[in-house]
Amino acid sequence: MIKALRKTGLIFFPAYDWEISPTHPERKERLLYTQDQVLEEGILDIDGIREFKAGLADEHDISRAHFCVPDVGSRITPSHNVSAGGCIEAARLVLEGVVDNAFALVRPPGHHAMRVVQGARGFCNINIEAVMVEWVRKHYPKIRKIAIVDTDCHHGDGTQDIYWHDPDVLYISIHQDGRTLYPGSGFPAEYGGPNAAGLTLNIPLPPRTSDEGILCAMENAVMPVLEDFKPDLVINSAGQDNHYTDPITNMSFSAGGYARLNEMLNPHICVLEGGYSIEGALPYVNTGIILALAGVDYSYIREPDYDADALRQDPRITDYISRLCEQIYGMWRSRSELKPERRPFVERSRNIYYDTDGISENQEEVFRYCDACPGTFRIDSSASTGYHILGVHIPHGACDACRDQGMSWFEKADHRYYAVYLQDMDRDIHTFRKC
Amino acid sequence: MILGIDIGGTHTDAVCLQGGTILSTIKTLTGEDLVGSILEAIKGLGISHDGIRRVVLSTTLSTNAIVEKKHAKTGIICSAGPGIDPGSFFFGEAFHHVHGAMDHRGREYIPIDRGEVLHAAQRMKESGCTGVGVVSKFSVRNAAHETAIASLVKDSFSHVCLGHTMSGSLNFPRRLNTTYFNAAVMPVQERFVASVTKALEHLGINAPLFFLKADGGTYASAAASRLPVETILSGPAASLMGAVALNSRPQGTVLVLDVGGTTTDIGILVDGIPLLEPTGVDIGGVRTLVRGLKVLSVGAGGDSCVSIEGDELLIGPGRSGPPACMGGSSPTPMDAFTVLGKYDGDARAASRILAPLAERMSLDISQFSSRIIADMVENIRQKASEFIEEVNSHPVYTIQEMLHPDLVQPDRVILIGGPAALLKPYIAEAFGLECEVPGQAMVANALGAALARTTAQITLHADTQIGKVTCPELNMEKKAPTSMDIEDLKTLGLNAIRDNAAMLGLSDRVEAQVIEEQSFNMIRGFSTVGRNMRVKIQTRPGILHEWRGQ
Repeated sequence: MIKALRKTGLIFFPAYDWEISPTHPERKERLLYTQDQVLEEGILDIDGIREFKAGLADEHDISRAHFCVPDVGSRITPSHNVSAGGCIEAARLVLEGVVDNAFALVRPPGHHAMRVVQGARGFCNINIEAVMVEWVRKHYPKIRKIAIVDTDCHHGDGTQDIYWHDPDVLYISIHQDGRTLYPGSGFPAEYGGPNAAGLTLNIPLPPRTSDEGILCAMENAVMPVLEDFKPDLVINSAGQDNHYTDPITNMSFSAGGYARLNEMLNPHICVLEGGYSIEGALPYVNTGIILALAGVDYSYIREPDYDADALRQDPRITDYISRLCEQIYGMWRSRSELKPERRPFVERSRNIYYDTDGISENQEEVFRYCDACPGTFRIDSSASTGYHILGVHIPHGACDACRDQGMSWFEKADHRYYAVYLQDMDRDIHTFRKC
Repeated sequence: MILGIDIGGTHTDAVCLQGGTILSTIKTLTGEDLVGSILEAIKGLGISHDGIRRVVLSTTLSTNAIVEKKHAKTGIICSAGPGIDPGSFFFGEAFHHVHGAMDHRGREYIPIDRGEVLHAAQRMKESGCTGVGVVSKFSVRNAAHETAIASLVKDSFSHVCLGHTMSGSLNFPRRLNTTYFNAAVMPVQERFVASVTKALEHLGINAPLFFLKADGGTYASAAASRLPVETILSGPAASLMGAVALNSRPQGTVLVLDVGGTTTDIGILVDGIPLLEPTGVDIGGVRTLVRGLKVLSVGAGGDSCVSIEGDELLIGPGRSGPPACMGGSSPTPMDAFTVLGKYDGDARAASRILAPLAERMSLDISQFSSRIIADMVENIRQKASEFIEEVNSHPVYTIQEMLHPDLVQPDRVILIGGPAALLKPYIAEAFGLECEVPGQAMVANALGAALARTTAQITLHADTQIGKVTCPELNMEKKAPTSMDIEDLKTLGLNAIRDNAAMLGLSDRVEAQVIEEQSFNMIRGFSTVGRNMRVKIQTRPGILHEWRGQ
């Protein structure tokens, strides 16, 4: 019998009774063939690999990461309680020491969901990794530094948004260049807020990047940065749409490449994100990832139509990625220089489009650029749905001045807003009041 | 009349019954010669043989052949293609991995190589294999490679088993193990069936012969000769089915505790039907696809050795000979019952063996005896509660099941086995549940075998884009029209299980039921290209209607 090097927990939740719509990529059938492959390969009988039941994330769990408008219940379906709950369960298993690492193979996905949720974007309603991360910080305060490495083909703009100002959460995204793919963001110039400059790193890769290119980015950018950052917890947002068969992207990554990536990264937790080549990619990529997590030989895992020669990337792509990695790692090393000049408040305004629901939103953010703590901020959000709200975030480790400022914003919000929302991370108070 | 015989490792129990009445029972020692033991038990029943219309056996024959490796030399030819290296799964000596691969929908992407297969067969033959298992990855989706390989090698071996006919479930490594074991024990089972049939005829018994399976159902001897692997681990099935038969109220959730000499087996009945292992049972540490009861064995029974380690009182897990109260020299829970005046054993011997231990715990002997019983019962209670928790934490894959879980919560306990009556009040108190010790519990196993219905399960997979329905257990492949929906597939399956009743070894009224159904629209691009549907159908397990006069 095969024995795993590391104890690996699998939370499999295919949500066979949930879909965005019958012909949507995010449909009931999505993980069916993955389940077939995992069962047929006998992965769950490998000594050390064990399947666990998903859990349920409640409104409070979700509110730690989001201002859901008008409320959590209106923005989610029970499937989101389970997929976020599945992630929490994966984290719990790892942090309680039941397993060494865990894979939340769940749907629906989450990495396009930002802090304010006026609707669904990129098939995501709530950010399941962020809900998990905030649950971890609440229940395991010793876990301070967290790294999220997002290897979905699409830029994880939601996760980037949620941790934009957070100096304890490093967010690195490897994805297909936003000039050629949804959501159109994720450039190196997006490197985090004033107090967390350099803690968001974007590595946009050209279309048709293959195993060689992605693994090069891992080796020359992601891994050296992680070595410096020394995170207490490493999470892989394991989207699988870099695969050469994916119908909505243009990359040339393989199942073997995904397995090698996870072997290098050796994350504590993997969370499934996108990936819509449900027959040609997911069964093999997921099998590869599980084996890599468990430390079992994955070298025989191969797609039926895999052809290394046909997928080989252009030498120009190889050169481009090498230079990009130098640039990213250089940015990281000199990240103190990225900090903007100090002033009391920093403002930014953005337009956000919720493609899945066809909603547009305007955001005005005011951030208190604090010396003593990560800094409180407020987001004024008005959406085409008619909801105009204010969200106030008082960060982990907030100083008294930031706490006072945050509470004052929360208390003074007037009838211009439909409601004002509060996230008080240290006190774990997540509430809202109608204005 | 029905004759039920349970041939256990130590005892052979037999029971003869008619309608709802037990006519005769007997318990004898199992000898070296199993057929001889069967005959002895039948003779001991003292019944007339001409009215017998059904004989059911529960044996350890296959289990022992596998565990003791007393079986025919058997080889495996497998085709797998990419994936985990199949060589890392297998433990047998003659293992041949050949070319050939199917994907998860049963589409061939690497063909088999005739020459390579013939060469493998030749080598296995030379190494003395008489049987061979042929197993392909995803053969339950498309059995073409297994069928082709088997037709190339069938003339070289006396027994050839095809993996997909063992079970419709996905799990290639377990399919390998199951097929190997099946091919290995086929000759053993065939010889056994032949000699039992002959011996019964000699006694004037011409009734059809059945065997008890690990899942608590029975099947006709012809099916047992084809799929002998299903008889492994039928011991716990016999006792649990005995509990079903002796259970006064079939409704509700019942925790069954079979307390033996050194172990207590824990099982669960839901509305009279035992819970099964989700994938298959293990034998000798090897995983199979054989459907079997979910049973947890706890190392605590009436003869468990009582000892003190440090200041901790231990009951079991082992045994060091018979209890002192029965002429042995080991301190046991039976001695504690004797000291407490609840069991009529040698009280002086029991006191003598327990006294020094009581002293070390600074307790008087009756306090100490009570403590032994309490600790043993607590151990069983704790294991039972973990067992129930494990059953309830089984993963589910739909939101419906996640939000409305169907949890197992026992509402009473049935106690069987030697010390059952003695333990009853203690168990009732510790579990906080009503506790029943049925009469005739001494021959529960034989009764379970006698009364278990014939059962079978089939799996259907339809892929209307490919245009095919497969049913591995029936070795059936049919065209699937594009219009086929889940109702059509269920109807097809329900008819198929009835039409193939004889092949499956079913003899009773076939009450087929759909136990799992899934239907997925297959979308490619933005249009529906077909349906992918899965159905599992079984005949209802349980005991024969006539037992309760239905």
